[in-house]
Order: sequence, then C-alpha cells, then structure tokens
Amino acid sequence: MTTTLRALPAVFSLGLQRQLAYRWNYFLRATFSALPLLVSWVFWGAVFQGRDTVGNYTLAGILTYYGMMLIVEAVSQPSDDDFQIAIEIREGMLNPILLRPLPYGLYRGALFAAGRCAYLVAAVIPVSLALFFLGRATHLEIGSLNLIHGIPALIGSALLQFSLTLCLSLSAFWLLEVSALIFLIYALEFLAGGHVFPLDLLPSPVFAVVRLLPFAYEYWFPTAALCGNLTEAAWKGGLCLQYGWALFFMVLAHFIWKAGLRRYTAAGG
Amino acid sequence: MRLLRLWLLQIRYAATRELMFRASFFVWVAVELAWFVIQLAFIGVIYHHVDEVAGWNRNQMIILVATNQLVIQLFTAFLMPGLTKLPELVRTGKLDFVLLKPAPPAFLVSTSHLEIGPLANGAIATVVLGGAIQGLGLHPSPPEMLAYLGLILAGLLVHYAVLMGLVSLTFWIIRAESVLLGYYTIFHIARIPREAATGWFRVVFTFALPLLLVANVPASTLIRGLAPLPIFLFLLSGLLVAVLATAFFVLGLRRYQSASS
Repeated sequence: MTTTLRALPAVFSLGLQRQLAYRWNYFLRATFSALPLLVSWVFWGAVFQGRDTVGNYTLAGILTYYGMMLIVEAVSQPSDDDFQIAIEIREGMLNPILLRPLPYGLYRGALFAAGRCAYLVAAVIPVSLALFFLGRATHLEIGSLNLIHGIPALIGSALLQFSLTLCLSLSAFWLLEVSALIFLIYALEFLAGGHVFPLDLLPSPVFAVVRLLPFAYEYWFPTAALCGNLTEAAWKGGLCLQYGWALFFMVLAHFIWKAGLRRYTAAGG
Repeated sequence: MRLLRLWLLQIRYAATRELMFRASFFVWVAVELAWFVIQLAFIGVIYHHVDEVAGWNRNQMIILVATNQLVIQLFTAFLMPGLTKLPELVRTGKLDFVLLKPAPPAFLVSTSHLEIGPLANGAIATVVLGGAIQGLGLHPSPPEMLAYLGLILAGLLVHYAVLMGLVSLTFWIIRAESVLLGYYTIFHIARIPREAATGWFRVVFTFALPLLLVANVPASTLIRGLAPLPIFLFLLSGLLVAVLATAFFVLGLRRYQSASS
C-alpha cells in the first residue's frame, strides 16, 4: 500500500510532463471552450429582451451560470482519458501497468489529476479573459459566488466525471469501437447535465426526475453551488447524491475491470 | 469538369469503404441524432418560458436550427471527414501521397472521404424542417426552394473555409486535434437568429466571417421569401472566405516537410 502511494506522485509528475508537452493544444481547447460564452451572451440577451426574468434567472444570473460552467469544465471534465484507456485496452498495452503493484484506477486517477492541472494552467488566461470581458460587457453576479458550497461540489464533480469515464472506457474490453458510445453519453451529459441550459429552467416534473440522475451532478449542481443558487438543504442533499453516484461508479468500474481482465489479451513483449 | 468526375470517383470509392461497416453507420446516426435532439430540446425549454426570441417564434426557430443541421450534416458527409484527416497526414508524412497526385491538394484532401451516416441525419433534419414549415402554413415557391438549395451550398463553403483554416494550423502546431473543438464551438454562432446579434458581433460574423448568414439567410428565404441583397452578400462572402482558407492551406503547405527518405 505504501509503495502504491509513493508511486502516485511519480505517475502524476509523468502525466503532467506528458500533458504540458501539448500545452498549445490545451490552450486552444480552453480558448475555444470559452467561445460558447460569447454565443450565450448574444442569444440570452435576445431572450431577455423586454423581460427581467426567465424562470428564476435574470440575464446576469444566467450569464454568471455559463461563466462559472467554464471553471467547472476546467476542473472536472476529462480531456481524452476515455480514449487513452480504450486504446490501452484495445491495443493490449496494459501489460506494463499490470506488472506493477499499482491499481489501474489509482494510476488513471493520477493521470486524470495531472491532465486537469495542465489544462488549468493553459486555461487560466483564456478563461480569465473571457470572464473579464463578459463582466465588462454585462453585469455578472460575482458577489453571490459561494466557494464553501462550490469547492466540495467541484471536487465531487471531478470524482464523478472520472469514475463515469472509467466505466465507459472499460467497455473497450468487450467493444471494438467505443467512441460512438462515448459521444452518445457526452450528448446525454450535455443535455441532462445542465451544460446546454440550467436544469431548473426545465418544467418542474422533468427537473424533479433529471436531478436524480448522475449527469445533473457533473455540471449543473457544481455550477449552481458555485453561483450560490442553492439553499443549504439543497446543497447538502445534492452533495450526498453526487458523492453517492461517484462511489457507485467507482465500485462499478472495479467490477468491470475485474470482469474485463478475464477477457484481456496482452500484445507484444 | 475533370475535378467533378474525380470527386464522383472518390465518393464511389469512399461509399464502398463505408458500407463495409454497417453497424457503425447506425450507431453514428444515433449519436448525431442525439446532438440534434439537444438543440430541439433547448428550443423547447426556451419557448416554454417565452413566445419569441428576436422576432422568431418557435416554428421559425426550428426552421433555423434544422437548416443549420442540414448544412452541418451535408458538410459532415462530404467534406469534413477528409479535412479532419489533414493533421494526421501532416504528422505522419502521408501527405506526400496526396501531393504526388495531379490534382489540387486542397481538393484531394477535402474530398477524399465520405460518411454516409450524416446523410440519414440530414434526411431527419429535412423532415423536422418540413414539419415546421407546415406548422407555419408556409408554401415556398419553386424559385424560393431553388434559392434555398443554392444557399445551403453557400453554407457548405463557409463550413469548408472555417475547418480548412483551422486544420491548416496543423502545419504550425504539432497536435492540432483541439481545432476540431474550435470548429464545433464557432458554429454555435450559426444557430443564433441574426436579429439577436448587434454591434461588432453582428458586423464581424456577417462580413468578416459570415457565420450568422449560414442558416439565417436560407431559413429567412423560406420564411419571408426572396431578399436579393442578403442572398448576394452571403454568396459573395462564402466564396471569398473559401478562397482565403484555401490560400492559407497553400501557405501552410510551404512549411510541410516530407517524411519520405
């Protein structure tokens, strides 16, 4: 166990070096991910024309939501971890990892954390600039940000997204091509996760169902917590569900891994 | 004419290759359909709270989004698969094989692959479009329909220009996969009603990079009839950005280092 824990910083460091080699790729990615904020500003500006509120949101409130979403994405959204895992399995490249006294989940977790750190470094400038210019163009409700609610929800979102990604990509033990499945779940995450619009704009019965699903805790919940849109009770209840889902997918990933290894065929020396 | 014949040959070859993977075809149709459903759900949520956005009602907005989807799917079927292969061709040096052929490299790169799945999704978008047209009680005349189809082709030129410009960055950046994300995100702009955009945003995305015209001008032609000035402006700007993007590709080619020995 001690050996395992001692190895993790080394894996993290290796992952960080590998990711930083592609810093321009990350910089471009972060820059482009800020672009929808511009679209939101224009589109929602037109939606709010002649009205003060839409649902429970003011224009400033909804733009703050999309702005904070950029931070949630930067902290918790896996980059290409799913495809890397699928390639390792499909091409029989797990051998060096299987020979080491290091659980695969922890190994991938350290690489995921390294990827997020590298992305955060590359994203600081474009995301800050996007928020700065949006703040200049319109009023943002920065004053109502709640870090005490937001930070645990952000960490929970990262754990949930990582464990869900792990479950999905481990399906490569059975499927030759996992990218379609991954993109299908992306679509679900975007819609039911509150990436396209805040989930509380949905009709109440639909919202009541959607907030029970794991996707809501990937984007909507951490963003709403960060924006200070949740009551203490809603935050605590949401946090329990979020960490509960993360734990569920971690346990599920463990069983998928065990079952998958029985099918795995190593390639090469 | 020679290029058209060459393109048809490439399509036939690519279609044969695609039809070997029939299961993949259905899965990718489902994936693309899911993203279209997201856009329709977004419209549903917005119009659950408001009656109109920038003067566009629900059915008009569906026409806009379905038109945009139709352009995207046609582009994804015919031109995008080849263009997205460019970073890999450059990195591995396989662009050599393209450069050796007696045809313009930009043409060969962009038409080398075909995806059939998006054509099915284009058909679904057309059905949704038809439903919205019927919902509004519109009866577009044959000249309006013809203009609509011509404007869809102009929209393809703008998509070609943006993606060609982005993938050509691969001549300067080693790993340019993220440019694809740039392409997807920048075309969010095409789904906005033009009337919603004001100031510099409207000027830039109408005249410099005519993304606001891609779906707006054809959709408006169906909804409000033929308007010569926006149509002319769109055709002209579409052609111009396509030429500029091809010139950028040619500029990048000068930096290309062959991988052959």
